[in-house]
Amino acid sequence: MQRIHRIVHGFARVMAMLGGLVLSATILVTVASILGGQTALGPIPGEEELVQAGMAFAIFAFLPLCQITAGHATVDIFTNWLTGRAFRLLRAATEALFAAVLVVIAVQLEEGMQARLRSGQTTFLLQFPVWWSYAASLVGAVAAAAVGVWTAAARAWELWTNHDLIETGDGAAE
Amino acid sequence: AQEVTLRLHHFLPAQSAVPSQILDVWADRVEAESDGRIEVQRFPAMQLGGTPPELIDQAIDGIADVVWTVVGYTPGRFPSTEVFELPFFVEDARAASYAFWKLHEERMAESEFADVEILGTWVHGPGMFHTDTPVRAPSDLDGMKIRGGSRLVNELLTRVGAEPVGMPVPAVPEALSKGVIDGTTIPWEVTSSLRIPELVEHHTEFEGPGLYTLTFVLAMNKARYESLPEDLQAVVDANSRLDFSVFAGGTQAAADAPAREMAVEAGNEIVTLSAEETQVWIDRAQPVYDSWIAGMEEDGKDGQALIDAARALMEEYHDSYDGAY
Amino acid sequence: MSDLAIGIWSFPVLLLLIFARVPIGLAMFVTGFGGLWLVMNGPFMAMARLKTEAYTTFSNYSLTIVPMFLLMGYFATLGGMSQALFRAAEGFLGHRRGGVAMAAVGACAGFGAICGSSLATAATMSRVALPELKRYGYSGGFSTATLAAGGTLGILIPPSVVLVIYAILTEQNIAKLFLAAVVPGLLAAAGYMTAISIYVRLNPDAAGVRAPIPWAERLRALAAVWPVLLVFVAVVGGIYGGIFTPTQAAAVGAFGTGLIALANGGLTVRTLGESFTATAKSTAMIFFIVLGAGFYNGFLALTQVPQELSRAVVEQGFSPWMVLIAILCLYLLFGCLMDSLSMILLTVPIFFPVISALDFGMPAEHVAIWFGILVLIVVEVGLITPPVGLNLFIINNMDRETPMAATYRAVLVFVGSDILRVALLVAFPAITLFLLPD
Ligand code: NA
Ligand code: NA
Repeated sequence: MQRIHRIVHGFARVMAMLGGLVLSATILVTVASILGGQTALGPIPGEEELVQAGMAFAIFAFLPLCQITAGHATVDIFTNWLTGRAFRLLRAATEALFAAVLVVIAVQLEEGMQARLRSGQTTFLLQFPVWWSYAASLVGAVAAAAVGVWTAAARAWELWTNHDLIETGDGAAE
Repeated sequence: AQEVTLRLHHFLPAQSAVPSQILDVWADRVEAESDGRIEVQRFPAMQLGGTPPELIDQAIDGIADVVWTVVGYTPGRFPSTEVFELPFFVEDARAASYAFWKLHEERMAESEFADVEILGTWVHGPGMFHTDTPVRAPSDLDGMKIRGGSRLVNELLTRVGAEPVGMPVPAVPEALSKGVIDGTTIPWEVTSSLRIPELVEHHTEFEGPGLYTLTFVLAMNKARYESLPEDLQAVVDANSRLDFSVFAGGTQAAADAPAREMAVEAGNEIVTLSAEETQVWIDRAQPVYDSWIAGMEEDGKDGQALIDAARALMEEYHDSYDGAY
Repeated sequence: MSDLAIGIWSFPVLLLLIFARVPIGLAMFVTGFGGLWLVMNGPFMAMARLKTEAYTTFSNYSLTIVPMFLLMGYFATLGGMSQALFRAAEGFLGHRRGGVAMAAVGACAGFGAICGSSLATAATMSRVALPELKRYGYSGGFSTATLAAGGTLGILIPPSVVLVIYAILTEQNIAKLFLAAVVPGLLAAAGYMTAISIYVRLNPDAAGVRAPIPWAERLRALAAVWPVLLVFVAVVGGIYGGIFTPTQAAAVGAFGTGLIALANGGLTVRTLGESFTATAKSTAMIFFIVLGAGFYNGFLALTQVPQELSRAVVEQGFSPWMVLIAILCLYLLFGCLMDSLSMILLTVPIFFPVISALDFGMPAEHVAIWFGILVLIVVEVGLITPPVGLNLFIINNMDRETPMAATYRAVLVFVGSDILRVALLVAFPAITLFLLPD
């Protein structure tokens, strides 16, 4: 169990790195476009569309790490008194709900991508098919759903064995 | 008693021209003539969520029952409608809205708009330039960053020597005030709500056909439309379609004059290029027609035939239309 | 059950979920999802919205400044820049009682002048100031509350995304709104510093003290701020000089701080990776909340709860001032649950015509601008009011040791300062309007 968990955690980190690289790329594209605009080269056409497509991928790619490190914001005032099994049960239930939501998001994003593939919608300036951006985001969304399902399973295992598996996260309650 | 609730969704604030002078009129009439059996709940300013380009999908998917949207927000999906966006093509918004409806019934309802029930089709008044520095000839646009509202307008801007920047209408004032763009294309009517006369000093309009127009549709979820009882469907039909389209186009064009007056009062310079001066522009814009027709051909559509049909229908409007809304 | 009733019942359900430690974004998401299911007698509308909504939320161009400014914050820290800014402020203020917290507020105000986002300001300055506050013996809750409040300066001091949205909705001049926001923004910073000095008098244990720093050292700290000034001039000069949009400014800021960090030797492959993972976690958390809030707000709008609630307030037949105060109170109430942009988008189109129709004894444009600044402040208070305050979550999230409840308690003094400021601006419209040209 611990070994699989380490592998999944490593995978989430790799996704976050990919997202970070794409985020950096959008920054470089923007800066290059500004510099180009000040010179004879001219700005990069459709800079904004590239930034949007890149950013959507990056955010989806960031989700798995947030998921597996319990990075989401929570309110803990009313659950502080819960201990042991009861707390583990609450956490497992929440994580299962989260996993279900992430799966639904990924499935519906795929539907959205198919709809754009059929309709042939393009962007304004670069006129590349919008479904390309959806497809890139889908990679991150599927990763998030998979890691979400694993995290839920891990919480269930923690409930079952009464042992910690997931590192104490950065979530507000911790 | 009320039987049906229709949710009408769009992106403009409730008090601006299109919602208050067109959409509310439509909704009020539908409510009144159904004896209150239909209620139209109005959700302005994207209150139901999403972004303006998603409106047409919201109607298709049933997130909203009825939406009003700019067709050009979804480039590539409704290529036939672009005929009315062609440069220097439309002179009279009412005639173009008439032609748009007829063309829609003939050629688009079963193909490009097959997933949705279109209740109205129209265009705005002539599009034009609003700029920091005076624009009389295409050469004045050299190196100027100009905002365009659709794929075709952006192509037109490139052809006449400007550098097109794509952004939604609400982003224009900030971009102008920060100097991110040097000017924008929009019809007069939109300038008042966006305070454009405070942000630029020069306006360039054209005698005869306008620089471009954008197309709009009032669209309804298909299943929802078909599920209406027959008599209620008849109420919706009676208040939509051809006469409504002409009314909507006419109302939007009529809002140009008071907005233009605001620019005059602000002491701005308004250049109206004569037919002769406009000819240079028309010549520079010609390749837009060519590439559009070529693009349509790739899609297996006859662009030239569409152009001819639209022209004939605009003539037909002037010769024979005497409907009223 | 009517749609309206479903909408009203969603409040306790949402609160229950949040208090049951369901992540905030998830709680809003599932409440919105379930609510849509009930209203539409099936899940199809919620499902249909998801086809595009997650993608469009995550690809929103204005929101791209959030990860960019977060990354900029990490780079700035690696390059020693946010520290320099904070240290200079700290050098001049730190020896006072509560001075380190005041310095954090001052640094937030400086950062707010280059940033249009509260969340980014809060997150970035927290990276720098939280460890310092801890080092000088400031209590956890007081430290996180200070930074959450300081973060709101990011949007109270122009440029401000919320004001742009308001300007468009109400057809007002953006430049004038920005100008009108300047004095209230500075008042906010002064008010927070006053709140700090009051808090530390009431809770002497909440803050440590240290000896004053010699003047030579203070001036050296001030001189060390030059890279900050460089980026500041490039970013602010770029925005006001009309060279770039706020998103472009964020990219320039991130790029510039990255270069400086590289030059200082702070940026290596390892620290770059750490910056990515840290940015990833915060960004994912923020965007999931934004997604959940959008989903929930769309549902609320559908049930017409905000619309009906505003109508009920207006129909009481009070005096203009009573209506204004009622509306502002309603914003404060809603701010306990909702995020600022959605709130503005939802309610301004309803309230603004009402306010415009009332006679406050001044020109219509002045009323519109004055109301805009008041709304800006009350929706920003929502970022720091418990239980749902985005800034609170974000800062608390950066500080493992401090329980949320401690942050909630300490932030009340800042909320108090906000409410006092709103009262002041309501009573004396001239504070907001005197800078405006005739
Ligand atoms: Na700001
Ligand atoms: Na709040």
